[in-house]
Amino acid sequence: MIELQDITKVYRTGSQSLEALRGISVKIGKGEFISIMGPSGSGKSTLMNIIGCLDTPTAGEYVLDSDKVAGLTFDQLAAVRNRKIGFVFQNFNLLPYATAWENIELPMLFDGKNGRRRRERVTELLNAVGLYEWRGHRPSELSGGQQQRIALARALANDPPILLADEPTGNLDSKSGEEIMAILTDLWREGRTIVMVTHNDHIAAHSERTIRLFDGQVVA
Amino acid sequence: MTLPRFFWSEYRKRRKRAALITFALFWGTLSILLLMAFGQGMTTQFQVSFSGLGQTLIMVYGGQTSLPFEGLPKGRPISLYPEDVDYLKDRVPEILRIAPESYNFLQVSANGKEINRTVHGTTAEFGLMRTQVPRMGGRFLNAADVAQGRKVAFIGWKVAADLFGSADPVGKPIVINRIPFTVIGVLQKKIQDSMYNGPDAEQVYLPFHAYQQIDNRRRINQIHIQPREASQSKIVEARVRTLLGRKYRFVPDDRYATSFWNTIEDAKQGQAIFKGIEIFLGLIGALTLLIGAVGVTNLMYAVAKERTKEIGVKLAIGARRRVIIQQFFLETVFVFAKGTFWGFITAFNVVHIIRLAPINYDSFGIEAYLLRPEFSLQIFVAYTAILGVLCFLSGIFPALRASRANPIESLRYE
Ligand SMILES: Nc1ncnc2c1ncn2[C@@H]1O[C@H](COP(=O)(O)OP(=O)(O)OP(=O)(O)O)[C@@H](O)[C@H]1O
Ligand SMILES: [Mg+2]
Repeated sequence: MIELQDITKVYRTGSQSLEALRGISVKIGKGEFISIMGPSGSGKSTLMNIIGCLDTPTAGEYVLDSDKVAGLTFDQLAAVRNRKIGFVFQNFNLLPYATAWENIELPMLFDGKNGRRRRERVTELLNAVGLYEWRGHRPSELSGGQQQRIALARALANDPPILLADEPTGNLDSKSGEEIMAILTDLWREGRTIVMVTHNDHIAAHSERTIRLFDGQVVA
Repeated sequence: MTLPRFFWSEYRKRRKRAALITFALFWGTLSILLLMAFGQGMTTQFQVSFSGLGQTLIMVYGGQTSLPFEGLPKGRPISLYPEDVDYLKDRVPEILRIAPESYNFLQVSANGKEINRTVHGTTAEFGLMRTQVPRMGGRFLNAADVAQGRKVAFIGWKVAADLFGSADPVGKPIVINRIPFTVIGVLQKKIQDSMYNGPDAEQVYLPFHAYQQIDNRRRINQIHIQPREASQSKIVEARVRTLLGRKYRFVPDDRYATSFWNTIEDAKQGQAIFKGIEIFLGLIGALTLLIGAVGVTNLMYAVAKERTKEIGVKLAIGARRRVIIQQFFLETVFVFAKGTFWGFITAFNVVHIIRLAPINYDSFGIEAYLLRPEFSLQIFVAYTAILGVLCFLSGIFPALRASRANPIESLRYE
């Protein structure tokens, strides 16, 4: 259960300050499939980062599964990102010096899972995204679509109940995009909460509900 | 895979980028250590060469009075005699060792060869004061040789070479002024930068009483005195002057009645010069270290900053602060240890190889100062400590900072 109450985010650059989010209140229930849409600069990524505990709001309250996020320590937040939330970035954000396998394994390593469980899970995920043969390759040796599938597998490593995806198909051709969407839809059917940012109505059509942002505010 | 193994695998893959840092550390270590080793070596060699003549040594010679004394006219010659040795020793408690010395230029022959060399008569204490270290298999004159007036001789290594070539002279006879002596020791090679009558390599030493049978002059050339403490050299000199003045009837302050060669006072001046050189080298070293440290720090910092984005990724997928810091810490320590280690090994070997170069003990030149670099533990410890702290700060500071901010800030870093 994600509950945002009157969330504000102000960016300060030098003497200027920019209000990227102005009083956003959103509730996302367990098992929902939400898409967030809005023009460029409307604050979609800012909102996603706050939901994903990658960033902190300037004001307002964020309650995640009845925990006030603002009250969590650095390492408690790390644990939330590790187990509860899988995050898929538009630009993949894979570790360049790690192989596909290592990239997927890493969240489990950080969680302290044992070797056998990790091996089984990485194998399972690589097969699910159809990239088992590519397990020894580094991100730079993979196509954009392949990298995004590895990133998705990594986000799922610890089997998180929530999956956040910021324009997961933004950098991909439509075929790769559809593949990703098919996987996301399956994951939602399995009972996961999915929040996705997109510019594409066609992609958004996969979701149950769309939140529209304009100039840092929810418009619909 | 475990976390350390993951750290290792990441490190190995980016090793090429760390190579520059490793090299910088290697090079910095090498140059600093060599610079310091040469500086240290020069200072040590100076001390060694000074002690080639003798350590903390005061030499007393006779002279001629330049002042009248209690009705006696000036211009009287003052000579020293063998009994002055005990006379001084009994009256000056600060004297640790004292020895008479007489010498003459005499014919020395052995092995069918004939040469002319300065031959000295002295006692066992002379050997200790004048660093007469025997080569293996031989010895300097001892108390029994002196007491019994044994016909034995201790010779310099050049005398040995001139008379016996490469053969060991110990136990062989040599003839001095037609009197046969047995060689009991040969002086080990040493560097000697100050001397009277030429270098010790060219001298022949006999027990005092045996010498007196060849040279029947009663007066002796000089007396060697070693005070208990180097700091007492001035007091000893003053006491000896006063005592001799009383005995031989001259004004103690008369500079010409007796003359003194106080190596302790000389050494103080020499040491001041070398202290100056040492400080100068230390300063250069410190500046080099500073430049090197700035370079290394900069490189480390740049690399660590470059990796800020990676830190962001790791934080985003749930790495705890400790994991991030651990990785940077281990990598920094490893790269630092590697660079420093190879630098140290190389410097050590360079020093070792240079030290293999022979020094020409017969014409004591600049090479004696340059070819004997040496390490001192302090140099290494000080160097490692300073650079270690800098490396640590530069390598780990960006990681510390990144692991305190929101992951998104590190992720945005380009
Ligand atoms: N780190 C930052 N510092 C300053 N301003 C920022 C920062 N990040 C975002 N902004 C500003 O905040 C506003 C919202 O940015 P955000 O990235 O959330 O938009 P978005 O809706 O994701 O846009 P896009 O569709 O282009 O990704 C923009 O005006 C942007 O310029
Ligand atoms: Mg965005």
